[in-house]
Amino acid sequence: MQPKPVLLKILDGLAVILLGVATYFALVKAPTEQVMGQVQRVFYFHIGTAWTALLGFLFAAVLSLVFLFTRNLKWDRFQVAAIEVSLVFFFITIVLGSIWARPAWNTWWTWDPRLTTAAITELIYIAYFMLRQGIDDPDRRARFGAVYALIGGISAPITFFAIRLYRTIHPVVIAGGNPEAQGGFSMTPSMLNAMFVALIAFTVIFIDLYWNRIRLGNLEDKVEQLKLKVML
Amino acid sequence: MTVKSSNIVPTKTDQRSAISAPSSGNYFKAVSAVVWKDLQAEFRSRELFSAMLVFSLLIILIFNFALELDIKTRQSVTAGVLWATFAFAGTLGLNRSMTIEKDRGCLDGLLLAPVDRSAIYFGKVISNLVFMLLVEIIVLPVYSVLYNINLFQPGLLLVILLGSIGYAGVGTLLAAMSVQTRTRDILLPILLFPVIIPVLLAAVKASSGFLDGAAFSDILLPLNILIAYDIIFISVAFMFFENIVEE
Amino acid sequence: MFLQEPTPDTSGYMIAGYAIAFLVMALYVFSMYLRTRNLNQDIAMLEEMDKPAAPAETTQPKPRPKKAAKVVTKRAG
Repeated sequence: MQPKPVLLKILDGLAVILLGVATYFALVKAPTEQVMGQVQRVFYFHIGTAWTALLGFLFAAVLSLVFLFTRNLKWDRFQVAAIEVSLVFFFITIVLGSIWARPAWNTWWTWDPRLTTAAITELIYIAYFMLRQGIDDPDRRARFGAVYALIGGISAPITFFAIRLYRTIHPVVIAGGNPEAQGGFSMTPSMLNAMFVALIAFTVIFIDLYWNRIRLGNLEDKVEQLKLKVML
Repeated sequence: MTVKSSNIVPTKTDQRSAISAPSSGNYFKAVSAVVWKDLQAEFRSRELFSAMLVFSLLIILIFNFALELDIKTRQSVTAGVLWATFAFAGTLGLNRSMTIEKDRGCLDGLLLAPVDRSAIYFGKVISNLVFMLLVEIIVLPVYSVLYNINLFQPGLLLVILLGSIGYAGVGTLLAAMSVQTRTRDILLPILLFPVIIPVLLAAVKASSGFLDGAAFSDILLPLNILIAYDIIFISVAFMFFENIVEE
Repeated sequence: MFLQEPTPDTSGYMIAGYAIAFLVMALYVFSMYLRTRNLNQDIAMLEEMDKPAAPAETTQPKPRPKKAAKVVTKRAG
């Protein structure tokens, strides 16, 4: 195994530090929201993970195209890493969203456009991994994964807009809009600060985990190649 | 990949000779050859059709007990029950259709022909669509009789057509993938359902709109979503199908 | 807006939220660490199996005890 590049070691440290900073800003520096209290603070991590995960899924869909046109397996490794990290982050997003919903609207789940689409999106990428697990040939696995990630990546935004448009025809109690309107709180400057800190922190953390995951993927690839070599 | 002679059914030789000469008219010939082969095979055995039909009727039966409703509430869930039925029965048809293809080696035979892979895709989509529509055409009167609702409205039929097109379009691509994995049949619903949500959403909304006699301006939006989905996904599937079936 | 109600104490939920977020991230990092370690062990084992075969292509591959000892020290190092 190749030793960790110095840059990655620095990034590891930076990610941990930024996580701490973001936590500090979210828990200490940001003011307590009046209407729903302390639980609003989960919003910062909720946004941080959501934003990076969604970009990750989008990036993965682009990687699909790159792989399908170049047929170089390294793009497949990049895609798996992106989807895996995004899946973990998005799971956090969904759980935090649910925790926020409970005291705010007295329900663990709302079928509003964002949360519903989030659940569907998560299921799409879980299906992605189940698809890959059922294929032994690396090339076929990469091709199928790429096609499905592309299909999923196109379907998820359509789902979101479809649900959103659907709801505006028949207005429901919970308006699907920006989180500010839903949660019913307006953001003070210091809250905005905390939000941006969280966004930056999670972007760095994402990239750090992503890079580490790619290295793991390279190891997996090496093991597969060695296995083939030894078997023959 | 060698084609076993025992697998070659008379129709396959006809179809291969029909598409062996390279020319642009071949594409259409290839597509119709695939469709015709499937329809003929199904006409003889009727295994796919009968399975899907019986399954659909059983689902409606289950829904009857699962959702014990009074007559008024039943009216509002008709669209949902119909589309849930079609979605589940559809996976049955898709799975079987592609499994037959793989098991009998027909797919390999088709791939040997010098024609664009997408012709196979379109052929399969059309034949899968035909099976779905046939089942739906029978389910509709049965449901109408059981629940005393007139389901034969042109608007509803249009929605069923558009929704089935989207379903078959994406379903054929995903079924072609799932049948080549270890998990085979089980995987298709897992792959298909999250991705088909916009179709179900728009189809149910448009269907209930037509059934309730809502204003057309309300129904137009979900109809547009259906059409947009169909166009987008069939294009994507058409572009990338060959990546799924290469050796 | 009439009477401003006192801000409800929802800190329990907040703690739960942050706890889950940190836990999930920690679990993921740990899973990556475990997988890396297992893969490295696999590579070491596979390379050990591969080595005897490589230099002597005409003779049958035999696992040499000396090689095994070398690999052990490599792994510990």
